[in-house]
Amino acid sequence: MPHRNSIKTLLIVDDSRVSRMMIRAFVLAKYPQWIIIEAASGNEALEIVGRDTPNYCTMDINMPGLIGTEAAAQILAKYPGIRVAIFSSNIQEAHRTRAATLGARFVAKPVTEKTVAQALEFFESQA
Amino acid sequence: MSTLSELQLDALTEIFNIGAGRAASSLSEIVGEEVKLSVPRVQLYQSSEINAEVLSLNSPRVGAVKQSFSGPFDADAMLLFTEERAMEIVHDMMGSQVGIEEMVEFEQEAMCELGNIILNACLSSMADILKLTLDSSLPAYSVGETDTILRQIVSEANQPVMLVLHIDLAIEKRLSQGYLVFLLSSSSLRELLIHIDRFIAGI
Repeated sequence: MPHRNSIKTLLIVDDSRVSRMMIRAFVLAKYPQWIIIEAASGNEALEIVGRDTPNYCTMDINMPGLIGTEAAAQILAKYPGIRVAIFSSNIQEAHRTRAATLGARFVAKPVTEKTVAQALEFFESQA
Repeated sequence: MSTLSELQLDALTEIFNIGAGRAASSLSEIVGEEVKLSVPRVQLYQSSEINAEVLSLNSPRVGAVKQSFSGPFDADAMLLFTEERAMEIVHDMMGSQVGIEEMVEFEQEAMCELGNIILNACLSSMADILKLTLDSSLPAYSVGETDTILRQIVSEANQPVMLVLHIDLAIEKRLSQGYLVFLLSSSSLRELLIHIDRFIAGI
């Protein structure tokens, strides 16, 4: 039985609409009650986070404007309680290390049921 | 002229983004430096429209690595690099112990390998995501005047449609531009778009 407080808000940040659609679909298949907000850039994500603080966030790296790791760093500096999964095709060690330093989980694209499950597992692993 | 819908373009860009990410990861392991990538831009051209100006290739000479792919659709894939950048990348790949004079000997091989990594990363991400199998030929490298190379590509391929992917990549402090060019026949493009639409419909 889903508990009342199990309704969570997830912010999906990705410049690709197809990627956002896929993440949304896989998340809602598992948690139909969750509220999903989308942002197409790091800058837009910062605005949204300041307005309606989400519980969780998936963050792409290669986006026009502010790159994802930088956006995640700014979000986490201000709202350390948000769980961030860096969801990226840029799978280089430098980005994995950066994600770990930020306290975020790195998940390698492509977006699949399995990779979305990795992000969800991280979101739900908090005490 | 065939055009791509916003969603088809988005899906193709994302597929190549994943491929470019995989390629950058392999490259960064080879050169021991972080490889920075821009968001790929995907555009569709008629072969007759292609020239150095259209591609904003503002270098007099380019290196081209060519590989043919076959499967549910056939494509000739090409990676274009401005020549001096290519040599710098080869230098990074071979390490500083190799002198400039010796490097010329390795250029052919190193560029084929570089092309092989990048082209296969992009094509394999396309194959994985669209759930299809693509076979590839061995890469071939040529270098020459930009317009000559482009004319050669267009006339040899004899395909009416070109899918051009533009990626900026920077290794260490060197900024380079790479173009990935896919030559497709109209029927291959139709087949590719059927797979893209099937993928989008499955979301």
